[in-house]
Amino acid sequence: MAFEPREEQKELKYDELRIYSDEELNNYTEEELKNFKIKHDIPMCDDLEKGPWPSFVADSKREALHRKNLAKDRMMIDCDVVEDTLGQLEESFVDGETHWKHGGIVGVFGYGGGVIGRYSDLQKKFPSIAHFHTMRVNQPASKFYSSDYLRSICDLWEYRGSGLMNFHGSTGDIIFLGTFTEQLEPTFYELGHVLQQDLGGSGSNLRSPSCCLGKARCEWSCIDTQDMCYELTHYYQDELHRPAFPYKFKFKFDGCPNCCVASIARADMSYIGTWKDNIRIDQEAVQAYIGGEIPPNAGAHAGRDWGKFDIEKEVINLCPTNCMRLEDGKLVINDKECTRCMHCINVMPRALRPGTDTGCSILFGAKAPILEGAQMSMLTVPFMRCEPPYDNIKELVEKVWDWWMEEGKNRERLGELIQRWGVPKFLEVLDLPPMPQMVKEPRSNPYIFWKEEDVEGGWDRKIEDYRIKHMR
Amino acid sequence: MEDIKKAILEFAEKTKKTKFYFNEMEKAVRKVLPDTKARAVKKAATALINEEKLIYFSTGSTTMYGLKGRGQTEDF
Ligand code: SF4
Ligand code: SF4
Repeated sequence: MAFEPREEQKELKYDELRIYSDEELNNYTEEELKNFKIKHDIPMCDDLEKGPWPSFVADSKREALHRKNLAKDRMMIDCDVVEDTLGQLEESFVDGETHWKHGGIVGVFGYGGGVIGRYSDLQKKFPSIAHFHTMRVNQPASKFYSSDYLRSICDLWEYRGSGLMNFHGSTGDIIFLGTFTEQLEPTFYELGHVLQQDLGGSGSNLRSPSCCLGKARCEWSCIDTQDMCYELTHYYQDELHRPAFPYKFKFKFDGCPNCCVASIARADMSYIGTWKDNIRIDQEAVQAYIGGEIPPNAGAHAGRDWGKFDIEKEVINLCPTNCMRLEDGKLVINDKECTRCMHCINVMPRALRPGTDTGCSILFGAKAPILEGAQMSMLTVPFMRCEPPYDNIKELVEKVWDWWMEEGKNRERLGELIQRWGVPKFLEVLDLPPMPQMVKEPRSNPYIFWKEEDVEGGWDRKIEDYRIKHMR
Repeated sequence: MEDIKKAILEFAEKTKKTKFYFNEMEKAVRKVLPDTKARAVKKAATALINEEKLIYFSTGSTTMYGLKGRGQTEDF
């Protein structure tokens, strides 16, 4: 399906938008970098540069040198901001505590999210990071960028902020790290009016929805994750920018159960593409895998010799529901028992493909808090069609929000509310019948508590009689 | 809408806290105007933000509301 933007989109041309010249962008040599010392003594940060991995300390030093060599009037905040950030980080390591203070009333006009106030509590020592506010920039679906766009936002942030960014925060946004209050509105203006770029969500808002590569690049995608993400981001603009929820709320869209954006682990409402019909099997390709002509896992683990591919050991015996077998050399799947775990498809992508009768499963209640540990979301709607304009999905979203806004305590995520009230109550709110697939561990806990009116003919059994023999 | 805005402002002036959660504001509105829907409270609060009578206060993870000019209104 061709992409139809909600508003006319300008073609961004870096040559028209650029702030810095090539000479300004390439303003130091590798030799100069090697000899460069930042103005604070940072032995512990330096230590982080050792080892085989890329280091944010090394990156920060590059940026510090780059800013040092730029003319002072070519940056709206102090050129020392990166050096002071590293200096303060060193202090935090020494003291064993953070020197950032979070929160406040900073923001851009009319938006209740997208900007997070941050201040140093060592402002005398590190004046250039007295303010170090963060801006969240709503990433495009699947994080596809043009280099003109990337260069333009890099220039903008060099000019109005610290030049430091995260690609990407765990919710998906591009994170602009560190600027002063006066720069927030001008940055927001440039983003919105020149780059056609919105801020993302923070606080008690709908957070920036995020999606996997989807149909743009992945043959496994059962739903158009990018289209859903774009549509719901636009449709729920008010919820994204004007906070009225008890706490944060996240949507994430995965095209198949491989769950590349980890929706099952991190979204209050996870959409996972799935299929109703059978896995498509190409028996010839199955034979080619068995015969070693096609490398398993598309050659992904080819760095080591794992021996000859063994379909019994590596695929059939690892199927979690034991629903595969070889019959006269042909691969047979009992699709009714398949839980769509994707294992066999991942190992033999040329031979096996998801079915064609596609839609999504919807799960609720995941969260990943640092202190209490993660909670996965619970399968609630095994299958729903996903076709624009997604009215069926929006209807479900609004039922959930109405309940959570009414009953949720402050700072209570949807998953916690479901735990507090119980799954039966949640199903009642959604007007869904209980199904075996909804229990936490499929097929290991058979208990669903029915209400008498749900069962044809009711019952005469009394719980008191039962308790006489079965004390609690 | 105007009566909801009035109820919000009265609550924001009277409450002991200088910052409050959305649902505290919602409950206060319902005391005066029962049956007000959350969405209506939100619309009224947004209008007050745009009129610069209310402000948002965000910790990054949660957001609260406050009356402009009451409590901490400057940067640290
Ligand atoms: S979640 Fe599935 S469809 Fe999406 S990118 Fe990953 S493998 Fe492909
Ligand atoms: S997708 Fe998983 S459950 Fe289904 S047949 Fe393949 S391995 Fe078995």
